[in-house]
Amino acid sequence: MIFARVLAPYAQFASKAFQREATYRVEVFSEIGSLVLRVYLIRALWTALYAHNPAPPNLPLHAIITYSTVALLLSLIFEVDGTRQLREKIRLGTIATDLLKPVSLPGSLFSDGVGMTLLHALTVIPSLLFALLLVHVDHPATAAAGVAFLAAFALGYGVNFLLNFCMNCVAFWTLETFALQLVVRWLSDLLSGAVIPLSFFPGLFQSALLHLPFAAVYSTPLLIYLGILRGDRIPQALLEQAAWLLVFAAIAALAWSRGRRRVVLQGG
Amino acid sequence: MEPILRTRDLRKVFRRTRRRPGIAGALRALFSTEYVETVAVSNVSMEVAAGKLVGYIGPNGAGKSTTIKMLTGILVPTSGVVEAAGLVPWRRRSDNARNIGVVFGQRSQLYWDLPLRESFELLRAIYDIPSQRYRENLAEFVELLEMADFLDTPVRQLSLGQRMRGDFAAALLHDPRIIYLDEPTIGLDVVAKEAIREFILRVNQQRGTTVILTTHDLADVERLCRRIVIIDRGSLLYDGTVEQLKDAYGQTRRLIVVFSEPQPQPTIAGATLEHVERNRARFAFERAAISADRLIAAVAARYPVRDVSIEEPDLESIIRRIYLEGISPSEVLRP
Repeated sequence: MIFARVLAPYAQFASKAFQREATYRVEVFSEIGSLVLRVYLIRALWTALYAHNPAPPNLPLHAIITYSTVALLLSLIFEVDGTRQLREKIRLGTIATDLLKPVSLPGSLFSDGVGMTLLHALTVIPSLLFALLLVHVDHPATAAAGVAFLAAFALGYGVNFLLNFCMNCVAFWTLETFALQLVVRWLSDLLSGAVIPLSFFPGLFQSALLHLPFAAVYSTPLLIYLGILRGDRIPQALLEQAAWLLVFAAIAALAWSRGRRRVVLQGG
Repeated sequence: MEPILRTRDLRKVFRRTRRRPGIAGALRALFSTEYVETVAVSNVSMEVAAGKLVGYIGPNGAGKSTTIKMLTGILVPTSGVVEAAGLVPWRRRSDNARNIGVVFGQRSQLYWDLPLRESFELLRAIYDIPSQRYRENLAEFVELLEMADFLDTPVRQLSLGQRMRGDFAAALLHDPRIIYLDEPTIGLDVVAKEAIREFILRVNQQRGTTVILTTHDLADVERLCRRIVIIDRGSLLYDGTVEQLKDAYGQTRRLIVVFSEPQPQPTIAGATLEHVERNRARFAFERAAISADRLIAAVAARYPVRDVSIEEPDLESIIRRIYLEGISPSEVLRP
């Protein structure tokens, strides 16, 4: 009961974000169009690459197309970043009004992001169905793999949120975080497995990358989906994700409490 | 009675990096940072009893907003004591937030994309307001602030006056014990200002809400506050009633005389000529030195007079003098 009352505002934040996003319809529809195009390009690109090169052992063409398509769908969810508002709030000083409310700002940013994601997810469904006519996407080999994938996705969502939150907290010190975020974004696009599976990287480098936090966001859920991570390697991978989640939660909590004390209000 | 607000030796120092001008300065800033410290508030001590309405005034950059932001828990003081309704605001930000309501004239706390009504609904969830109480409060504010016509309009489409009324309702829906008003009438027309003032007075008197009012509009102060606190350059200059301030600093009154015919250089004993134009003259005289009726009699005896009027010193001219000349420490009044 108390739990429900504590959570009530956050459910409201998510629902308001959902409604707010729905008012910007043009954006939503253009996103749908671009999704169909990008799925088509993925197929064309990998088909052309595979036609002239020997396929790597555990990633035949249908697997890599599945990987890239699911990665694209995940990116639509992961790229919705509710924490981006934090940077703006700090820079413009509007964080003042948020700090006047008896709710947690990190919590409200999280639920805001969830609300936005839900709207995007809903609007993506029709175009997803259409896109699936263009490419064939494998489903997880077993129901257990499917469940493990969802768990890994949820953990990845949390790690991604905390990573973004920490980066936006930097604005407490510098007011601007754009350059930093650009660099981290490039790194994470490359090193998270969002674009290329990490198994394409050479030996030692690959095993290092697999244990970086970036891999916890994209690579782990995707490798579970494809069945490359399976059996007793799955619990181990999930635990590793959970460990990153805790590490970043600790960093985020520290950054938030330190940053809070540094609030300098812009504009009087 | 225990004061509801209390600060002692409250101090806030901002540290910011110093930028030298030009490209060379920007490059230098990449490698070494210099810091400049600004004392925004120093040694502010005051107490406010529950249910009072206090005006907190001072020129731009005096430290008003910084004090308010420490009282509300947004800013962490550099040193000193601050307490609101028994809590240290910045330590217990969330609990403190339930006790207070805030209206910033220059910054809305309503949700930009949502209709006003939905902003209120969201606040109901945030503050966990019992539904009965919420309905009563909303009905009362909608009526008093005449908001029925624009309850379903998105906030971004509201006029400034409508938005301010919305902000007032938003700040009060959860029955806060203290409300902080930071320039709540800025930019409003005279009618809207008066409506807001009446509303503030009503909230203070009928609900017993403690009000801290920051404003540059001294008409707000004269209409609403008995007690004012003046701050300048981070330090308190005055803490007392408006009347005491007028008594202490408003000694100079003015006599306006309209003569029957032009007088190039009229003189009256006990008063100084400030301005003369054709048959109209303005004299300044000290309340303690000469009474108005003796002065009028003296003018009338010397010159043919068509009309006279007395101008009492207004708060604005007193405050202007204080901002410009300051108050020496011995003059600081305590109630």
